Amino acid sequence: MLISMGKSTEAFRNNLQETTQSTEVSKSTKDWQRISPIAIIYFLAKIVVGFLSNIVVFLPVLYLSYDNFIANPHLWLPIGLGIIVVIGLSTFLSFYFFQYRLYQDHIEIRSGVISKTYVNLPFAKIQNVKLEQPIYYRPFGFTCLQLDTAGSAKQEAKVVALKIEFAEQLKKEILAQHKIANSAALNETTDTLDHSTTDKKDSEVVLNTRSISDLIIHGVTNNRIWIFLGGLAPFFDDFGRYIVDFFGGLGIDLEKFLTFADKPMWQIGLYAVTLTFIILLPFTLFSIAGSIITFYNYTLSKVGDRYIRRSGLLTKYEVIMRLSRLQMVVRQQDWLDVILKRINLKFEQNNSALNQHQASAQNSRIIVPSINPNECLALINDVYPDNKMMNVDYQSISKRFLLRNFGYILTPIFIFLSFSLFINDKASLLMALIPAYLFISLLIYMRWLRWGYAKGDNFIYIRKGYFGVDYYCFPIFKTQQVQFKQSWFQKRHQLSSVRIVLAAGAQDIPFINQALAYQLLDTAIYQVESSRKSWM
Amino acid sequence: MSVDASLSNTSMPSIDLPQLAHLNFEALSPRYAKSNRYINLFSMAFIISILFIVKFQRFIPLSTEASDVLSFIIFSIAFVGFISTVYTILADKRKFYSLREQDLNYRSGVIFSKTVSQPMLRIQHVELKRGPIDRKIGLAKLQVFSAGGAMHTFEIPGLPLETAESIRQFILDHKDVNQHG
Repeated sequence: MLISMGKSTEAFRNNLQETTQSTEVSKSTKDWQRISPIAIIYFLAKIVVGFLSNIVVFLPVLYLSYDNFIANPHLWLPIGLGIIVVIGLSTFLSFYFFQYRLYQDHIEIRSGVISKTYVNLPFAKIQNVKLEQPIYYRPFGFTCLQLDTAGSAKQEAKVVALKIEFAEQLKKEILAQHKIANSAALNETTDTLDHSTTDKKDSEVVLNTRSISDLIIHGVTNNRIWIFLGGLAPFFDDFGRYIVDFFGGLGIDLEKFLTFADKPMWQIGLYAVTLTFIILLPFTLFSIAGSIITFYNYTLSKVGDRYIRRSGLLTKYEVIMRLSRLQMVVRQQDWLDVILKRINLKFEQNNSALNQHQASAQNSRIIVPSINPNECLALINDVYPDNKMMNVDYQSISKRFLLRNFGYILTPIFIFLSFSLFINDKASLLMALIPAYLFISLLIYMRWLRWGYAKGDNFIYIRKGYFGVDYYCFPIFKTQQVQFKQSWFQKRHQLSSVRIVLAAGAQDIPFINQALAYQLLDTAIYQVESSRKSWM
Repeated sequence: MSVDASLSNTSMPSIDLPQLAHLNFEALSPRYAKSNRYINLFSMAFIISILFIVKFQRFIPLSTEASDVLSFIIFSIAFVGFISTVYTILADKRKFYSLREQDLNYRSGVIFSKTVSQPMLRIQHVELKRGPIDRKIGLAKLQVFSAGGAMHTFEIPGLPLETAESIRQFILDHKDVNQHG
């Protein structure tokens, strides 16, 4: 262990010396080597979290048999100690067997205690370099280096503990390699792009930062409180009773306050508002905390054709995206965002691999939270200078969309339900059914109103949403596959639906004129096939 | 935008583009529809005959109530089987594929017709899949994967093996696949 440590520091020192001469790091580390022992903390955290998430199911059992544990220490103490020893041992072994080397522009990683894994990644194939710095690495200046390839999620590598300077240097080298390989393969199509990269190669430009107040707004507008409340609905009664009891315990008779018969309207209204606020507050605070933890100290910057997102309160993330990897720009506004005039801007990359491990998906995206319309416009224009997302004419979809959803689906269900309520003598439930019916009708109408599309020379734009509004914009040549769909009923009215599949997910445009749909798809396919450009 | 600089040929009238609306579709192998019909029929007959055996066996006598329920189940399975056989016949008649120089197309669907077009340039890898029945009657299913994800795997079932293999070879020989895959 000591030897390996010596090696890695030696490599690091070599590297520092060599940075000035700009020689390659990879030559200095062609022997297999272990990472710094600090990684033990990382492995420990990982194993403990894994252990806890497995044991969580048994927690009630553990709780119930607590007395049993106390009564029989001679039996349970060894078991507890055994678990601790196993955790400690497997932590050490995971550390011991984790080795990597850099050799001829490849990174190789060996890991695993019982089932061994060996990963060999050529630098040129690495799509994404991500630095992740958990809070316990920060005092020691270490970081995790995560490397993603374009292909599958399985083929990714994580070097668990590297000195920050070394990781940065390695990252630079990988990206440089990458560019050489890429421009060699695509020299016809990307020569203009290469000019721009060589010009401002090493100067990092900060495009956007987010202040705490922005993050608080983000937390408020993006909390998923409504979903929470929906899920809690069955418990509202118990919850209410608990609150009444709680205040009763404090000597406040809540029921008396809330008996409305003798109170003026304004007072009742005030109560309602206060009560809603009290219920919403904890959820909102939770959401704000989440927003701050994820996006604290947010910066979006740009080096050449690479966009870099840095953020994080506890674990610091650094995500890098090359412009050519960008598949689609999404400008998102929920209804609250519309009121506050804030926008969430997302730069979508290849999602098909990310979907397989959802938890990290949020952190490896490039999202700019709660920005102003002006900032948003500037960023979109920086990425796609000739796009017209906000000033193109969006064509709306056919009114038959309303007819189908409203006339053929919703209303028959409503009539059937109200009829069966009448038959079963529960007509009073109609009071709940009718508002629901009206609300869903409103949703359908808003959906229709929002849904629009437009085709520019090089871009397809889609607008959709309900009360909020989302804009999608992608270069036509990024299309992976197209689908033309038509039902009998649509055919009679020369309508059809269209699906354009991107690496960042599928986009649908329903109920548009058949001729226009064919034209859209023909152009999309033609642009893919004639441009012969790579999608990444 | 610099990435799109090479694309200046987009303003051409759409009538000049190769048109998806006028593809020359080819039918799948007739053996495919036939095997589907038989599979459907036999699996249904198998389930129904088992239920009949349960109903009329003499070892464990059923109560009249259970027997009634069982007849109802047999009847509904027969009904569903009939519908699904009719549907399979109709659906198999409406499955076509079309191979162009630059893309693969597959059309299917009875009430909701759907045409999927997969440009060769975006293909990441190709697979031929053959179940036991496919192997018996010399058919293969062609699967084509793009970066659009597993949800959007392009698939042509019921191809004669030689056709499937030659399409696969055609895709592999396509120079763009070699270059960008």
